[in-house]
Amino acid sequence: MDAVAIINAAINGIVIGTLMALPVLAITMVFGIARFPNAAAGDYMTLGAYTAIAVQTFLSSSLVLGVLAACLVTALVSVFFYLWVFRTLESRSNISRLIASIGVAFVVRNTITFFAGQDQYNLDVPLVRAWNFDGIRILPTDLYIMAIAIGALALVFYVLHGTPLGRRMRAVADNPDLAAVSGIRSRRVMLYLWVLCGVFCGLGGVLLGIKAVVVPELGFELLMPMFAAVILGGIGNPLGAVIGTLLFSVSQEIASLYVGPAYKIVMAFLVLLLVLLFRPQGIFGRVMAAR
Amino acid sequence: MSHSINTSRRRFVSSSAAITAATFLPFNAWSQQSSVFRLGALNSITGVGGPYGPAMLESIRIAVDEVNAAGGAAGRRIELFAEDDQTKPDAAVLAVKKLIEINRVEAVVGIWPSSVGLAVMPITNNAGLIMMNTCGAPEMQVENKRGLAWMFQASNAVFGRAFAQIARQRGFKRPAVMAFNNSTFVGLANYFKETWEAEGGKVTDLVIYEPNQTSYRTELNRVLATKPDIIALGSYRPDATIILKEWFQTGQDCSFIMPGWTANEGLVEAIGKEATEGIISVSNVAANEHPAYKSYAERFRAKLKRDPDVFAAQSYDMVITLALAIEAAGAQAGPIDVNSKIRDVTGQDGDRIDSFVQGRDAIKAGKKINYEGASSKLIFNDRGATVPDFGVSEIRNGKLVLKETVAGSA
Repeated sequence: MDAVAIINAAINGIVIGTLMALPVLAITMVFGIARFPNAAAGDYMTLGAYTAIAVQTFLSSSLVLGVLAACLVTALVSVFFYLWVFRTLESRSNISRLIASIGVAFVVRNTITFFAGQDQYNLDVPLVRAWNFDGIRILPTDLYIMAIAIGALALVFYVLHGTPLGRRMRAVADNPDLAAVSGIRSRRVMLYLWVLCGVFCGLGGVLLGIKAVVVPELGFELLMPMFAAVILGGIGNPLGAVIGTLLFSVSQEIASLYVGPAYKIVMAFLVLLLVLLFRPQGIFGRVMAAR
Repeated sequence: MSHSINTSRRRFVSSSAAITAATFLPFNAWSQQSSVFRLGALNSITGVGGPYGPAMLESIRIAVDEVNAAGGAAGRRIELFAEDDQTKPDAAVLAVKKLIEINRVEAVVGIWPSSVGLAVMPITNNAGLIMMNTCGAPEMQVENKRGLAWMFQASNAVFGRAFAQIARQRGFKRPAVMAFNNSTFVGLANYFKETWEAEGGKVTDLVIYEPNQTSYRTELNRVLATKPDIIALGSYRPDATIILKEWFQTGQDCSFIMPGWTANEGLVEAIGKEATEGIISVSNVAANEHPAYKSYAERFRAKLKRDPDVFAAQSYDMVITLALAIEAAGAQAGPIDVNSKIRDVTGQDGDRIDSFVQGRDAIKAGKKINYEGASSKLIFNDRGATVPDFGVSEIRNGKLVLKETVAGSA
């Protein structure tokens, strides 16, 4: 396989990986702080993409407005389900919250199909040709998507490590009881967390909708690879989520050059397997001692 | 008092024995003497088949009205029961069970996708019912073991061959194939390759891709790296949208040949005129020259204000063919007997007829008949499949333009 093909595959993997890092980060943070795998994340993405479609259909053709509306609506829905479902189940085991989140996923998806039907939608974005550097192709649209995704990631890392809110979030993630004793109001931290989860899933959904087509299964189909990326990076670790997603999607794209495309997801899981063999806690995960 | 308890117990035992016995009777035993033929329509009204299902159901209604207006088939009025399969096999199974167990239909017509056809066929086969469809998966013919299923649309094996022949006729030299990983499209891809290489030349690459991805760029780049002049693309609309978008973005020159149920105005709407310009779209087309088509299309236009598509014409033919077979089998016939007459009323050695009334009168006069349908000549092979004519269209400035018609089964 020549170098150009590998570089193109890697570029494609990096673009998709950066984009997917947004919802994966949301999943890993919900896991770190609310302590359960949120299976509704995929359908929050779908909701974001459909919100942008709705804005383009009924309000204005502006994509910026669509993206903002998607983030807002998904954040509201995410907070709504926190207040209605996940807060009530806070004291239950994480399995019951996982099951509840699967239920939330169904509710979101079926509400979407009730109004929008099963047929595909497309976000109205002008088609442009890629820049061609001796066979290495770079798409202007991809650069915008990357810029937005990296900007959002930078913002969240700044919030986490540079603001009092981030410190409180990390404190709750480390030890909720100690955080409560230290006077941190975990309710407010949780609200911020779910807003962030909604915004990131919604944003990821719209960006994905721009690249692909908007169908009711858009986000749900990605749930398994996203969970795998969370595990690869180390559960609950934000930086790990980003690195894990990038590694996962780049290895998927490069693998499909060598094995049949039908096996590309298998190869990505093989990478996951290898990493976990040598680092069972994931790339950035901490070793958790069990007593 | 004990006496009355005894009789009621006896009555209970005897009546429950009767009920049990009744449930073991096959369905056709119920309807043998009936003056009504109960017909089930299972259409994809919602879901991916939504663009086609409603017109198919309307065409079935047009045909049922035609038969009933003429006094029924063999004196039996056709009573229609319609269900929506949502283009999903699971919903279809529930719907067909309702049609069979509650409505007690004797035939199910109008099934559109192969996924539904393959799910429903075991059920209709077990119940001994006729099943007429527009499914294209080659497995449909393999599974049609009782000869009760009738395929009114070309199989994808035939589509694959047609794609290869059309591409060669148009002077393409270096074809590549990309196909969605399911039985329908893998079949199409393999038959394309086989046909092309049998006539000399090589397929530059054949890639079967996994469905439900957000990007197919790496697969596409792999195919484009072999510098094909045309890609045979076996895709549904969502994946075709992504692939064509990504192809357009690369700027590499290449033509596409695709099935008509994907490459149509809906695709243009999804990705715009520029990226779809020149796509070759191959689909079955209705038999526009047949009198049966002209008479049916007039009634269809009066109702739906547009021309019928091939699936709608096929649905109309299903009911007319079935009605002629009922006529030929006689008023007392059950589904199996009716089924055995389907070949008789479409046989090539009979007198050509173009409508139900014409056919009924010929049958009454003791003649052999050959119904030439609105969708095709209805020549069924030994596995119950027919091949309508192919229309080769090109997308020009966002519209499908018919270029030529290639004859189907002869």
